[in-house]
Amino acid sequence: MSGNVLLEVKDLRKDFGDHSVLQGISTQICQGEVVAIIGPSGCGKSTFLRSLNLLETPTGGSVIFEGKEITAPGTDVNKIRQKIGMVFQQFNLFANLTIEDNITLAPVKLGLMDKEQAQKRAKELLGRVGLPDKADAYPAMLSGGQKQRIAIARSLAMNPDVMLFDEPTSALDPEMVGEVLELMKELAADGMTMVVVTHEMGFAREVATRVMFIDEGVICEENTPQEFFEHPRNQRLQDFLSKVL
Amino acid sequence: MQNFINEFTLNFIEKNRYQYIIEGFVNTLIISLFAVLVGIVIGFLVAIIRSSHDKTGRMKAGNFICRIYLTVMRGTPTMIQLLIIYYVIFATVNIPKVFVAVVAFGLNSGAYVAEIVRSGIMSVDEGQFEAGRSLGLNYRQTMQFIVMPQAFKNVLPALGNEFIVLLKETSISGYIGLTDLTHGGDIIRGITFSAFMPLVAVALIYLLLVTGLSWCVNKLERRLRVNER
Repeated sequence: MSGNVLLEVKDLRKDFGDHSVLQGISTQICQGEVVAIIGPSGCGKSTFLRSLNLLETPTGGSVIFEGKEITAPGTDVNKIRQKIGMVFQQFNLFANLTIEDNITLAPVKLGLMDKEQAQKRAKELLGRVGLPDKADAYPAMLSGGQKQRIAIARSLAMNPDVMLFDEPTSALDPEMVGEVLELMKELAADGMTMVVVTHEMGFAREVATRVMFIDEGVICEENTPQEFFEHPRNQRLQDFLSKVL
Repeated sequence: MQNFINEFTLNFIEKNRYQYIIEGFVNTLIISLFAVLVGIVIGFLVAIIRSSHDKTGRMKAGNFICRIYLTVMRGTPTMIQLLIIYYVIFATVNIPKVFVAVVAFGLNSGAYVAEIVRSGIMSVDEGQFEAGRSLGLNYRQTMQFIVMPQAFKNVLPALGNEFIVLLKETSISGYIGLTDLTHGGDIIRGITFSAFMPLVAVALIYLLLVTGLSWCVNKLERRLRVNER
């Protein structure tokens, strides 16, 4: 672990009716860390990620972001979310807006930049994600990989302190996975704090600073990638790895 | 042929009878136009209240009132609503009949527009909403800039259809003694005792109006579809 604690999760619980998805998750995420979360489908890893920016409202426990308990009643969730970027499996680019407007909408409407600044920033970001000529295109005209790179650019436009990735490559055609992972690698190298729910074991092994295995709503094991993949201690993790590797 | 010209002259030219048609045409246009506007305002308001209630669980009272409104408006014939508004609600006040018709048809159309728009809001993928919220936009901003524009585009054909229905439904305005297009034609029929000319003329004018309206809606639809290329 390195740097300051950015996100702290204490005994996080989430029930959907009788079904308990998260059964008490506690962990800390420090500045500059890249945490990969893996686990079987339905284990609660996405729910956990979505609880970090309160897209899911936890039923118990607390999330502390930059020293503030965001699960406390009366928190300005919108303010918090400006600092927590999120990238979705299904991209979720705004279908009614051009790529440039997708990137500039939030910074402009939230009063963080004026239109001109935002457009300049969008141009920079489009260059950074390798799609400088797509400013005037609409999402429907792009490939999956391009959409996801734009989604990352849109998230970056808010200058977030941490970025959450919810299976960012799971909806992509195989040949497009690489371009998105490459971009994420660059982000990690630039020091972005990232929490990534993924099925890409290669990415977890190479890029993550820590890998977390969630099953049945609890963290079964978390460790450095090397230890995690080469000497898994937890029985369920061993079974899981033997199936996916 | 001579017969046709005679009929035409009798029904429209003699004693300037075409003026009944003109007056009716103007009234039908005014009623339809303003009723559509009233319907859109009411419809969007009700749809936003109802879908906000579904999404956030707030505005219980508002949702309840909206549901009563929808039940009543969609559960009773438009003609009865028109008669009640004219003979009961506005019985003691002296206001122009055209205004009464605008209120009646606007209220009625609003109910249908509301459910059309609500279906449009529900048809927008939840991910669009979540993406907006995850960037820090609040509920209203997300609805205004992301969900509603897409919902509107999705329901435009259904809205166009509703406006066509509304336009034709104004033909019952004659029941409160208002000279709309239908009633205007019918007055001529009462005077000349010939049915063909005035009724077919009226039908043709409706047809033209509806065709024009469809054309406008189609054009708007095509313009809004630029982001699907």
